[in-house]
Amino acid sequence: MTTEAFVHHTQWLFLLYFVGINLGYLAQNLIATIGIRKYLQTARQFEAEGVFSSLDIPISVIVPAYNEAASIITSIKALLQMDYPDFELIVVNDGSRDATLQTMIDAFGLQLFPEAYRIRVESSEVRGVYRSLRFKNLRIIDKVNGGSKADAVNAGINAARYPLVCVVDADGILQTDSLRRVVRPFLEDQTTIAVGGTVRIANGCVVRQGFLEEVGLPTNYLALVQVVEYLRAFLFGRMGWSPINALLIISGAFGVFHKETLIEVGGFNKDAVGEDMELILRMHRIMKEKRRPYRITFLPDPVCWTDAPENLKDLKGQRVRWQNGLGQALMLNRSLIFNPRGGAVSWLAIPFYLVFELFGPILEVLGMFLLLYFGWMGWLGWPESLIFFGLAIGLGILLSTSAIMLEEMSFHMYPRIRDLLVLFLVAIVENLGFRQLTAIWRLQGLFRWLRGGKHKWESITRSASVSDKT
Amino acid sequence: MLDWLLQSDFDTSVTAALWSTVIAIASTLILFLYTLGLRVATTLAERRRVPLIARWRRIFASAVVSDTAGPWSALPQIGRNQQIDILEEWNRTRTTVAGSATENLVSLAQHLDFPALAGRMLQKRQIKSKLLAIQTLGHLRGEQSWSAIVEAVASPNSALSITAAVALVDIDAEKAIPELVPMISIRRDWPQTRVAMFLRMAGSDIISEPMCRALRDGDPKSQIQLMKFAPLMDAETADRVADELVRNSHDAGVLAAALKLLSGHGGLPRIDELAEHEAWFVRMRAAQILGRAGLAEHLPLLETMLQDPDWWVRYRTAQAIAALPFLGPNALHQMQQRQTDPFARDMLGQAIAEAGL
Repeated sequence: MTTEAFVHHTQWLFLLYFVGINLGYLAQNLIATIGIRKYLQTARQFEAEGVFSSLDIPISVIVPAYNEAASIITSIKALLQMDYPDFELIVVNDGSRDATLQTMIDAFGLQLFPEAYRIRVESSEVRGVYRSLRFKNLRIIDKVNGGSKADAVNAGINAARYPLVCVVDADGILQTDSLRRVVRPFLEDQTTIAVGGTVRIANGCVVRQGFLEEVGLPTNYLALVQVVEYLRAFLFGRMGWSPINALLIISGAFGVFHKETLIEVGGFNKDAVGEDMELILRMHRIMKEKRRPYRITFLPDPVCWTDAPENLKDLKGQRVRWQNGLGQALMLNRSLIFNPRGGAVSWLAIPFYLVFELFGPILEVLGMFLLLYFGWMGWLGWPESLIFFGLAIGLGILLSTSAIMLEEMSFHMYPRIRDLLVLFLVAIVENLGFRQLTAIWRLQGLFRWLRGGKHKWESITRSASVSDKT
Repeated sequence: MLDWLLQSDFDTSVTAALWSTVIAIASTLILFLYTLGLRVATTLAERRRVPLIARWRRIFASAVVSDTAGPWSALPQIGRNQQIDILEEWNRTRTTVAGSATENLVSLAQHLDFPALAGRMLQKRQIKSKLLAIQTLGHLRGEQSWSAIVEAVASPNSALSITAAVALVDIDAEKAIPELVPMISIRRDWPQTRVAMFLRMAGSDIISEPMCRALRDGDPKSQIQLMKFAPLMDAETADRVADELVRNSHDAGVLAAALKLLSGHGGLPRIDELAEHEAWFVRMRAAQILGRAGLAEHLPLLETMLQDPDWWVRYRTAQAIAALPFLGPNALHQMQQRQTDPFARDMLGQAIAEAGL
């Protein structure tokens, strides 16, 4: 093959890749726009009545905690004030090396309790169950460190007494009405087995006593970019797949599951790097194998606010882990790929994730370097190189802008016009450096998966830009 | 720049990339301007809406507290672009009041020509308009809208259908409930909270007999669905139906649902058989009702059930035992000590601790 032919074919490959991935995203965007409009039209009507009744399904809220002594009390107090008629809170202390357990014992008057703990999904040994003398719906499971969040959540599932299980990160800030909103699909469709809510970035927001008091944008650039990223990921990434029942991930930070189905599929996989995605893929696989009708749904308005990494080290660790987890989750459930009975999951969502999300970084990073190399070697004129570069950036900006538009059409969480303009600016600037950097990290994550990377509890440095007026 | 782009003799792939870039940038600009326009429009609309709603809220509030329904005078003119906001506010107020205040609000709505407005909105294609129209017609309690709303109940759209069902109950509960109760087991898409809401609105006097009939005549699937709402019936009728179902049904789901409702005051039919039922959830409900009955004669049966292989049966049994009024802490601890099955012993220990004994 001549150099000219190689350059020519390479150009076409990248062009097709970029057009393919962006057409996919735009299709998701379109589905999400229609879905959110439809959802909002009916949601207001249903909310107007706001009735609680004996039919509300009780929920076990599980909070896995590892070395959370600094913030666990505020988190528990906030969760205990959730606006929901019947829920229990199960905090799992996963063998923390700091004073997480003692802090909870002191703050809530915990007493060791002779619970007939039963093991239904695999987890490390439970050392004891504590019950609060002040809050009847609070229990603490103290267990030997299992090395992963999944292991801790499984212990919580074993102790859960209610039909629905809600998993929340210990540092997550749930809006008080989140449980009431997230339970709706279970009431409306009895085949619902899992529901995910939106995760938003808490950096820059004002938090008081574990409650979000004022929404704002962070001043830290990395956190700011992640605000736009999360809008893209949740508002159209998740909302685009949900209406066709092809949602492949419910964030580990906030998800609700039908407990018996969760146990039936084996609970969370403690060896999975991306335990949240692996679980959802496994649920799809097993439900399809058993030919059972089911729904896995995403809702845009139950919101959990979370702390985003503000330094490159933490952010890199997170992205490498996500990519590693994606590869592992797809590999563990590979029988779903082009499965004749798999429907949209097998024929649309998984192929999209495989080509564009898992292996996409190879083409993105390679494309970046080849573009520079071809230009340097004179095989591709600088105007042509600039055009390809412009295409990549232009499509990136378009997608981010459409996510911001969707946010404005639906929830407009950022009330100041200045915030809106900042978000638009970020949608442009993130394409100059940040995207390329994350593509390289994702490529590293891909290689780590190929080498068989393992998972440990993830911890990030708490952001300085979450203003907590505790 | 544009001239240069158009005149350049690029390769096809580069030309395609170039035009894709141009389209992407143009689309971005359009979206950007649209979003900004949306923000400006929303802000302006909100500025207009806030005083408008405040003004009409005062008018509706004075209608609510007024001794008479009208005559209505000196009301502000309603512009076409204000109609929806005011109608929504009227519905909000209407849901919060009862009795003669309702008549005042309905009279005011008629004076403002809301029935005709709702009628026009019902003909529109948007679901949002239809929902508001149906809700308004229900709140207006106008019999003349009955057939249009009945048609909406049959809609495949869940929100439309259930809103119409609620509206029918609002207009005439006695006429609506016999039609709606059989639909509860068919329309599984109706949100349960909203079904409970219209049943509660109608009241136990009106719903009990239709529910009772539907429960007796239905297949097990329908019976299970309807039993979820049986606590809304009057207690005596609900207990009677539950008793009948416990005596006659062979479906595990129906038995569990009926046992959950049964008071046990009129005896516990088939209790020995149900305590050994193959479905764990029937055994669990049997344990619960044995606890509710609280009779000494059932203690040996409960003690046997404490050794059940299922955790939930053991748990409910232990709770039932711990709540028995004739067993004090000493007797409970003695019972715990004499359990040879460690699972039974641990579970009773947990129940005793939970009861704080």
